[in-house]
Amino acid sequence: MQTKDINENIAWAKINEDVLRSMENPRMGYWVALAACVAMIMCAVLAEIYQYQVGMGPSGLNWPHMWDLYIATFVFWIGMSHSGTLLSAILHIIQADWRKPIYRFAEAMTLFSLMTAGLFPIIHLGRVWNMYWVLPYVSDRGIWPNFRSPLVWDAFAITTYMTSSALFLFIGMIPDLAICRDNARGWRQKLYTVLSLGWQGDDRQWRHFRRIYLMMACFLIPLAVSVHSIVSADFAMSIMPGWHVTTFPPYFVAGALYSGCAAIITLFILLRYFFRFDEYMTIPIMEKTCKLTFAIAMVWTYLNLIEFAATWYGHDPVAKELLIQKFIGPHAPFFWTMLFCGSVLPFTLAFEKLRRHMPTMFVVSLFLNLGMWLERWMIVTPTLSFSHQPFAWDIMWPSMVQWAIVFGSFGWFGMLFLIFVKVFPSVSMYEVKEMVFHRRHYHSDELESKFHRRAGDRQSDADPSREGA
Amino acid sequence: MSGSDINRRDFLKFMGLGGVGAATLSGCDMPTTITLEEGKEKVVAYLAPEEYAIPGIGVTFASTCKQCPSGCGVHGRVREGRVLKLEGNPDALNGKGLCQMGQASLQGHYNPDRITQPMARKGGALEPVTWEEAWKLMKEKASGAAQGRSAWFTGTVSGHQSVLLSALNKAWGSKDHYVYEAINNAVGEAVNKSVLGDAAPAYRLDKAKVVLSFGADFLGTWVSPVHFSREYSKFRTGDRGVLIQVEPKMTLTGGNADLWVAARPGTEGVVALGVANVLLSKNQVDGKQLPQAALDVISQYGVDKVTEISGVPGDTLVRIAKYLNERSPSLVLSGESAHGHANGYQNAMAAMMLNVLLGNVGETIEASNSMAFDELKAKHGNSKAMLDFAAAADAGKYDVVFFTGANPVYTAPDHLAMAEKVAKVPFKVALSMFPDETTMAADLVLPLSSPYEEWGTSVSPYQPTDAAISMSQPLMKPLSAETKSLGDILLSMLKYQGIKDYEGFDDYYAYLRSELDGLPGSVKAGKDGDEFWSAAVQRGVIKVPTKAGSLKVNLGDVSPGGHQSGGDYPMHLIPSSNQTMYDGRNANLPWLQEAPDQITKIFWDSWVEMHPKAAAKLGVKEGDFVRVESDQGAVEAQVYIYKGVHVNAVAIPVGRGHEEYGRYAKGNGVNPLKILSSIVDGKSGELATHATRVRISKVGRSEELPRLGGSEVQVGRRLVNTVSADVFKRTEGA
Amino acid sequence: MSLKNILENWSHYRRAHEEGGHHEYEHMWGMAIDLNKCTGCNACSVACYAENNLPTVGKDRMRKGQGLHWLRMERYWDEPDLGGDDKEYQERGGSFLPMMCQHCNAATCEPVCPVAATYHTPDGLNAQVYNRCIGSRYCSNNCPYRLRYFNFYSYYEESWPEPLNMQLNPDLSVRDKGVMEKCTFCIQRIRTGKDAAQREGREVKDGDVVTACAQTCPTEAIVFGDLLDKDAQVTKLWKAQEVELGRAKQDKSDGELRGYRVLEGLNTDPCVMYMDRVREA
Repeated sequence: MQTKDINENIAWAKINEDVLRSMENPRMGYWVALAACVAMIMCAVLAEIYQYQVGMGPSGLNWPHMWDLYIATFVFWIGMSHSGTLLSAILHIIQADWRKPIYRFAEAMTLFSLMTAGLFPIIHLGRVWNMYWVLPYVSDRGIWPNFRSPLVWDAFAITTYMTSSALFLFIGMIPDLAICRDNARGWRQKLYTVLSLGWQGDDRQWRHFRRIYLMMACFLIPLAVSVHSIVSADFAMSIMPGWHVTTFPPYFVAGALYSGCAAIITLFILLRYFFRFDEYMTIPIMEKTCKLTFAIAMVWTYLNLIEFAATWYGHDPVAKELLIQKFIGPHAPFFWTMLFCGSVLPFTLAFEKLRRHMPTMFVVSLFLNLGMWLERWMIVTPTLSFSHQPFAWDIMWPSMVQWAIVFGSFGWFGMLFLIFVKVFPSVSMYEVKEMVFHRRHYHSDELESKFHRRAGDRQSDADPSREGA
Repeated sequence: MSGSDINRRDFLKFMGLGGVGAATLSGCDMPTTITLEEGKEKVVAYLAPEEYAIPGIGVTFASTCKQCPSGCGVHGRVREGRVLKLEGNPDALNGKGLCQMGQASLQGHYNPDRITQPMARKGGALEPVTWEEAWKLMKEKASGAAQGRSAWFTGTVSGHQSVLLSALNKAWGSKDHYVYEAINNAVGEAVNKSVLGDAAPAYRLDKAKVVLSFGADFLGTWVSPVHFSREYSKFRTGDRGVLIQVEPKMTLTGGNADLWVAARPGTEGVVALGVANVLLSKNQVDGKQLPQAALDVISQYGVDKVTEISGVPGDTLVRIAKYLNERSPSLVLSGESAHGHANGYQNAMAAMMLNVLLGNVGETIEASNSMAFDELKAKHGNSKAMLDFAAAADAGKYDVVFFTGANPVYTAPDHLAMAEKVAKVPFKVALSMFPDETTMAADLVLPLSSPYEEWGTSVSPYQPTDAAISMSQPLMKPLSAETKSLGDILLSMLKYQGIKDYEGFDDYYAYLRSELDGLPGSVKAGKDGDEFWSAAVQRGVIKVPTKAGSLKVNLGDVSPGGHQSGGDYPMHLIPSSNQTMYDGRNANLPWLQEAPDQITKIFWDSWVEMHPKAAAKLGVKEGDFVRVESDQGAVEAQVYIYKGVHVNAVAIPVGRGHEEYGRYAKGNGVNPLKILSSIVDGKSGELATHATRVRISKVGRSEELPRLGGSEVQVGRRLVNTVSADVFKRTEGA
Repeated sequence: MSLKNILENWSHYRRAHEEGGHHEYEHMWGMAIDLNKCTGCNACSVACYAENNLPTVGKDRMRKGQGLHWLRMERYWDEPDLGGDDKEYQERGGSFLPMMCQHCNAATCEPVCPVAATYHTPDGLNAQVYNRCIGSRYCSNNCPYRLRYFNFYSYYEESWPEPLNMQLNPDLSVRDKGVMEKCTFCIQRIRTGKDAAQREGREVKDGDVVTACAQTCPTEAIVFGDLLDKDAQVTKLWKAQEVELGRAKQDKSDGELRGYRVLEGLNTDPCVMYMDRVREA
C-alpha cells in the first residue's frame, strides 16, 4: 500500500516529461469531451438568446419567485471557487507540501468557477444590456450605483477575487511556463515566451518570486473568506425568513470550501486517471484531501444544526414556519436529499478503505456537490415560496430555459478546464521537484516509517519506491 | 384637426413634433424617431386646437355608464382627444365611486373587436356592406313588415331612446317590445308591486340597523350596487348595523356578512317563516301587522320543521330573530338566489312578510319618488320577456326583429333552443357594438357607437330619493366613422317611416336639444335653452320633479311552495352572477377577465364551487375537472373548494363560455345557463335560474386552478384582524 | 452627493428613520384603509389598471404568477385560532385586504437595489425609476408584502391591440420587459396636483390629490392624503387611531383602537394604515 505522498526518487526529467506529455497530443476522448462541453454551452446559449429576446418570462420565474436556479447556481459556482485558491494559499502558508501536486488544477478550477459564476448575475438580469450600471464607472450624469446594496458588494468582491485568483494562478505558474517555453515549438513557444516573462531561474528572480507568492497567499485568504461572506450577505442582509440568518457568512464559507474540496476530489481522480498522474496525485494526497473534506463537512453540518436550532428556539414564527415547510413541505424531497448528501454521505470519507477506492470517491464527490447545489437551491427558493405574506405563497418548478442555462454552465466550466489542461501544466512541475527534493534530503527513512506507519504496512525494505534510488 | 380624417397615430405624430409629445409618446407603440419629412404634411399648430384638446391637460366631462342597467353617472377624463379614465360623478346616484364594471367600460369603448361597419348576411356569412346597402336592405326586408309582424328585443332602455323606440313601434303597428335582462329583480318587483303598490321602493340601507338579505347581492349585482355600497358604508359606521345573508353560495354581500347562512336552495321562504315563527313565539313580537292567514302559515313552521326543510340550524334561526328583534329598524331583502325557483315568488313574499311583521315598511322601505315624466322612465328588463319572445318567434309571429343591448342567444338555456327560434325569424337586425352570439345570428348588423361617443339621456331604473335624467355626451370623436348611435338610427327609421314629428331633426343631438328645451320651466330653473343645456351636460344629471309615492301593505299568501327532491340529480346548480362577468356582457373586457373573482379569486376561466364535504364525498380536490350534468346537458370545469357554498349545491359563475363575442370572450370557460332546466317561477313567469338539479361526476383531469393567491388563511399573521362590533362601537361608535 | 457633503453632514445622514431619517420631507403621502367599510369589490384594482397602464397578461401567464396587479385584493378565510370557527360554513364571510405598495419609510426594497432605481422621494414616496432599473429583482425578493411586480415579458406587445392602446394614460410610461414596477400612489396625480397648486400660488391642500383607488372606492374605505398636513382627513384618522410613523410597535392609550399597519413588527414603517375588520361576534 502506498503511504508516501510522493516517491522521492522520481527523476526530475521524468517529472517534466510526464507533465509536458499531458499537455500534448489530445486523444479522441479529449475531443469528444470538448465537443460535449461545447454542445452543453450551445444549449445554454440558445436558451439565453430566447430569454434575451422575450424577457425573463420563459425562465418560469414569477411573483413571488423572482430568483431561482440562476442565483442558486451562481452561489454554487462561487462556492466551488473557494477551495482552490483558499486551500492553496492556506496550505502554502502552513507549508503543507502535499498541496504541491494538486494546487495548480485546483486554482484553475477556482478561476473557471468564478468565470462561470460571474455569468449568472448577468444572465438573471431583466435588462442585461445595462449590467455595467452596477459598476461605479465615471458617468457624466453623476449617477453611482447604490453602495448599500449587497449586489454591488458582490460585483466588487467577485471581480477582485477573480483578478487576484488569476494573478495567483499565473504567478505560481511562471517557472513552469519557462519549462514549457524551453520544451515547446511553434505557437506554444511564442505563447510561453510571452507568459513566462523572461524567467531564467536565477537567484534574484526566485527571491522575488517567493516573496510575491507569499504575499499573494496572505492577501488571498481574507479575501476569499470575505467574498463568500459577501455573497451570503445577498441573503443575510435581507428581511426574509430563512435568509435573514446571522450565521450565514461562516455557513456559506464552510459550504463553499466543502463543495470546492469535493470538486477537487472529482477532478483529482479524473486527471489521475486520464493523464496517468498516479505518481504525483497519489493515494495519500487523496486521503489527506478526503480528511480535510470530511472535517469541513462536519463543520457545515454543525452550522446547519445551529441554524435549525436558532430558528426553532428563536422568536420569529415566520422563520420557524419556513423551516417546518422545508422539512415537510413541497421542497422536502430536495431538502432531505441535500442533508443526506451533505451530512450523511461524507461519512464514507471517514473509512480508509473507501477513500482509497477511486471509483467510490469519484461517485461520492459528485454526490457531495449535488448536495451542495441543492443546498443553494434550498436557501434561495423556499424562502421565496413561503414568506411573510401568505397571499403570495406559491410553488414553482423551474422551466427548461433555466435548466438549460444551468446545464450549460457545467459545459462552460468543463470547456475552460479542458482547454486549460492542454495549454498549461496542470501539475506544478517545479513544486513537485521541490517536494521530491525536500523528501529526498530531509525525510529519512526512519522518520518516514515512524510517522507514516500503519497497521498492515509492509516492511519498508520491501518498498518498491526505493528501487530506483 | 377639426374636420380632417386623421387617425390617432397621426395626431400623436404632430403632438411629438409640437414638442410636447415626449411624455405622451412613451405610452404608444409608435416609432420613436419621426422625421419632420414624415410628419410635415399634417403638422398643425397648437394655436387653434379643438377647445377640449389642451395638450398635456386632462379635462373631465360628465356622461353615463351603460355597462349595467344601474346607469351610474361618470366623469370621463379626456386628454388630447382621448378619454382615458372614468370616475364616478359626485352629482349622480352613485357618488364619486364606480365599480369595476364601470371602470372597465372604457375597454368596451376601445375594444378591438368592435363592429366598425354594417354587415349583411350574404350566402350564409356576414359580410361588410355600406350604410346605403344596409338601408336598402332595411327597406326591402323590414319596412314591408305587415302590421304587428315586427318586434324589438332590447336590454333595459330609458330616456329619449325609449321614447323614440315606442314611437317607432307605434308607427310600425307593433306592440311587441321585449325588454330582457338576465340579471334582474323582476320577482322582487312583482312582490313589491303586489304588496306595496310600488315595484321599486327605496331601500334605506343607511337607516337600517339589521339587514337580513335572502340572496340579494346588493354590493355586487343587485339593482344598483355602487349606490348600495355607499349606503352600506353609512350602514356600517357609527351604530354599526348587522348584515345577515341567507343564500346557497357566498356572494360579495355574503362575504361581508356578519352571519352568513347557507340554506338549501329554494327554502329561503321557509327560513323567513321560521324566523317569523321565532319572533312571534319566542321574542313576543306583536303579530297584529300580519293578516291571520299569514299567522296561520307561520305557526306551522316551527324551528324543527324549518331546520329539517332548509338545513339551517335552530340556534341560527334564533340568533337571526334575536338580531331582528333587538335592533330596529331592520330591512329584509330578497334577491336572485331566492327568486330563481319555481316558488321564487313565495320566497320573496315571505321576505316581504318579515318586513311587514317588523314594521319596516315606511321605515327602511320608503316610497320611491318616481319621476314626473313617465315616458322617460326606464323599461327594466326581466327574463319572462325572453321566454315570451321565444314562444312568439317559434310560432312565426314576426317577419322582422330588432335586437339591441341584449344577447339572448348566449343567455338563453338550451331547452329554449333560442338560436333555432331566432333563425325562424325571416329578417333579424342587430344593432350592436360587438360581434356577440345574437349579433352573429342576425341578417343585418348595424354598428352602434359606444356610450362614450354619443349623445343621450337615460333614467336609472332605481331612483330611491331624487329623480334625475342622466346625460350622455361624447367624450371623444367616434373611433370609427361608420358607427351610429342607437338614437340616430331610431330617428332615421322614424323619418323613413314618414313620421312628421321627427322630420325637422337633423340628428339625435338636435332632437335631444329640442326635447330638453321643451322641459317645463321648473326643471330648467329659469335658464334658457343653451344655458340649461350646458348646465345639464356639465353636471351630467338633470334633477326632475317627482311624484310623491305612497306605500300600502297588502300581504299575499306567504305559504312556501313545495320542495321537490332531485331524484337522479341530487345537487342544486347555482348559476351565480358576479360583478366581473355580470351576465356575460363583460367577457370581452380584458381587465375584468383578469380581475380575480371577488370571492374565489379565480380569473380568465369558469369554475365549479363545491363544499369540502361534497368534494370529499366525490373524491375531488381543487383544480380537478368535474362534469356537472342536468337534464338539459352538461358542462365541465375545474373545482374550487371552500365553505361558502351549500353542501348540496354547486355554483358555476355566469358570463363565460362564449362562442362568439371577440378574442377575449371566445373559448374561455363554460356557460352554466345553457344547462338550466325548463322551470319557471309559478307566479311571475320568470325563468327559475336557481332551480336546476344536477349530478356531479369526476372527469379525471386536473390542472392548476387559475386562482390568484397562495394561502387562503393568514396562518396566524395579523394581516386582517377582526374585532367585535362591541369594540368598534366603544371606540368609534356614534 | 459629493464626498464633501457626506463628510460634513455625516451625522445627519446617519439619523435613523425612527428619528425622522435624513430626508427633509415636503409631504408624506399616506393612506388609511378601513376594512370595516371595504367590501372587497375590486373596483380599486381595476381603477388601478385603468390609471396606471397595467397590461393584462392572459390566463396562462396570470396563472404562472407573471401578472401585474399593483393593487391586489387579498381574501382570507377565517382561521380557528384567529377567532374564526371551524363550523360547516364560512359564517363570517371573508377577510378582504387591499394591498398596494405600502410606501415604507424604512423600505426594505430601497437599500438592496444595486443601481438605486428605487429610492425615497422628499414626498415620502417609495419611487421606482423604470429607466434606471436593470431587473435584478432583489427589491421584490426583499419586500415582505410582495408588492413589487416584474415585467417578465414585453407585455405591451399583446396587451393593447388597437384601438385599446388609445386608452393608455400619457402621464406615465408603458413599461417594457425587464423592469420592476409597483404602486406609485398615482405619482402622476400627485405631480398634477402639486403643479396646479403651484400655478395658483398656494400649498397643496387635502383633496387636491386623490389616488385612482381611493377615488373609485364605492364605500370610501380608502382615504389618501398628506400625513404632514394636520388638517388632512388621513392625518386625522391616523391620529384618532393613535398610529404613528417611525414605530415598530404602537403605544396606544386604548388597546382596542383598530388602526394598525401590516407586518408593523418588521419595522418597515409603512405609510398605509389599516383599520381592523369588524364582525358582530
